[in-house]
Amino acid sequence: MKIMKHLLIVGIILCVLMPFNATAAEKPVVIGLQGPITGPWAYEGEMAKQSCEIAAQLINEKGGILGGRMVEVRVVDDAGEPKTGALAATKLVGQKDVVASVSTYGSSICEPASNIYEKFKKVNIGYGVTAVRLTQRDFKYFFRTCGRDDSQGKFFADSVPQKFGAKKIAIMHDNTAFGKGLAEDTKGALKPMLDAGTVELIYFDAITPGEKDFHVPLTQLREKKPDVWYFTGYYAEAALLVTQAREIGVTCPFVGGNAAINNEFVKIAGIDLAKGCYMTNEPLPADLPYKEAKEFLKAYKDKFGEIPSSPWPIYAADALNIIAYAIDKTGSVDSDVLAEYLRNDVNGVPGITGPIGFTAQGDREGVPFYLYVVDENGNIVISK
Amino acid sequence: MQVVFEQIINGLTIGSFYALIALGYSMVYGVLKLINFAHGDFFTLGSYLGYTLLVFGSAFITTHFGLWGGMVAAMLMAAMCLAFIGVLVERAAYRPIYPAGRLPAVVSALGASIVLQNAIMVIWGPRYQAYPAKLIPNIHLNIWGINITVLQIVILVLSFVLMGILYYIIQKTVFGAAIRATALDKDTASLMGINFNKVIFFIFTLGPALGAMTGVMVGMYYRQISFTMGWNYGLKAFTATILGGIGNLPGAMFGGLILGVLEMLGAAYISAAWKDVFVFMILILVLIFRPNGLFGEKIAEKV
Repeated sequence: MKIMKHLLIVGIILCVLMPFNATAAEKPVVIGLQGPITGPWAYEGEMAKQSCEIAAQLINEKGGILGGRMVEVRVVDDAGEPKTGALAATKLVGQKDVVASVSTYGSSICEPASNIYEKFKKVNIGYGVTAVRLTQRDFKYFFRTCGRDDSQGKFFADSVPQKFGAKKIAIMHDNTAFGKGLAEDTKGALKPMLDAGTVELIYFDAITPGEKDFHVPLTQLREKKPDVWYFTGYYAEAALLVTQAREIGVTCPFVGGNAAINNEFVKIAGIDLAKGCYMTNEPLPADLPYKEAKEFLKAYKDKFGEIPSSPWPIYAADALNIIAYAIDKTGSVDSDVLAEYLRNDVNGVPGITGPIGFTAQGDREGVPFYLYVVDENGNIVISK
Repeated sequence: MQVVFEQIINGLTIGSFYALIALGYSMVYGVLKLINFAHGDFFTLGSYLGYTLLVFGSAFITTHFGLWGGMVAAMLMAAMCLAFIGVLVERAAYRPIYPAGRLPAVVSALGASIVLQNAIMVIWGPRYQAYPAKLIPNIHLNIWGINITVLQIVILVLSFVLMGILYYIIQKTVFGAAIRATALDKDTASLMGINFNKVIFFIFTLGPALGAMTGVMVGMYYRQISFTMGWNYGLKAFTATILGGIGNLPGAMFGGLILGVLEMLGAAYISAAWKDVFVFMILILVLIFRPNGLFGEKIAEKV
């Protein structure tokens, strides 16, 4: 009887230990994703999550990294709030198995979060964070796969006034790190033309994000009679702005920054008002010519029915890919090794959004911009 | 000059939203001396229910009732659902802890608010929802150079009708008399044969129903709703309640309208970024000089 009991205990212990032993060799490599899963940018967060899942799935289908280990994405929600962003980052760095993090949409969320990652020495790659100053802080572990606002501002100054034959330009931002940054950068890029007197900046002001009623600033905008109106903010406000502006009789063309227009914008504003709205943007997923992009988008479409309607989720996928690539090439999950490798040895690695390489500051090298427009059917296409 | 009038009309429109929500706060406070933090979420829930009815029932509703009939039908259905939910929340979250005093009830109200907000997020998802675009005709009118939409006129008229009906119910009917009596002195009112629980039932159907109708109107006006919007509107409406004198129904109505207009004018002529500061400055000034609000009656000291 006693022997039976002992056997039972040994058996139980073995049962508990066995699976551990079996999986220890193939323990997945965990990469964090911090994104706005809830809150005002939930749509972007959802797409980023799906993109990272697809990216991981594609890596795993090809046999994983480090000789057969799978890649696992661990999502934390930052709700699109700076405060929650810092908490989310703390949560990720607190988990020992998280190697590095794809961190977030929204420059003002990234700013406090990247401080935490820096402090706890975790590589973090921003995917929808374009404010110039993020890479001016001499951070060792922060990178980004997306472009910078100053290149977008320059693109606006070079192309938009000519296209519309506009003399009187209005710029409206939303006081966030991204919106204000892009507005300032655009103003800076317009400066030679302003000095030469070929264009006039007749309106430069902010709206409050999260508000629903913009009748007051829009009435002021209408009284200034702009030829073109540039809004550097996010799609939730952009949709309300366009709806209310047309309601009170602002008729000039609307040009949004690269966060202003996606399918959600078209849905909220309605096709009637959304059509003919422009945006300056990185190339959208559907317009990417690369082999990796085609493969990724096919897998995405097979699983979720439609491809992402904004460029950011793709940058998130590329951030995940490049982390996995670096881990695989260096054979290490050590943050210092990874950061060194990303900074110095990643150059022209084929990615979904084109060849990936980082500058000494951690910026992505070479991101092109296009002018997009919403067409009759509510699709976002390159403006001719 | 036209611009000033335009801003005032814009202000009256959001002011009437604040006023309708404020009425719900004020009624509950008047009777129970409880700040019902869940009220803002009743409003959000109403907005979402109206959205669901309009999106999924739009073909049916508009063919059977016509365009504006469909809107009113959606509004009424949302109101009825919310009246039911309001009573449910009162039974579950407030009634069991009345004997414990006022402070636990306030905490419970905050809890109810969080539960409702998260329930909305789980059911409809965290994304913004958009009221159907084609359903609401976007007709502009130009009256003496003032730009106004038909929808704004409809909202203003509807709000004033609703406020009128509520005022009539409270001031002229037996129910209203019972509510006013309970608000004045709960114990004496009970001694006079007024059923306290019936009064509570009544205010918890009326308040959320009004909130729900406001929610549908806000949805039609801005076309974009989110599960967290109740907090912001709730806070503003609560401010309106205090501005007008808490527990005083005409006070809540005027408080809301005044708040809306002040907010718009402050944003237009001082600074859009400072408009909330401006609004709360006014509130503080009013409270310094008239601690019971603009229309508040002096409460006699109980000896």
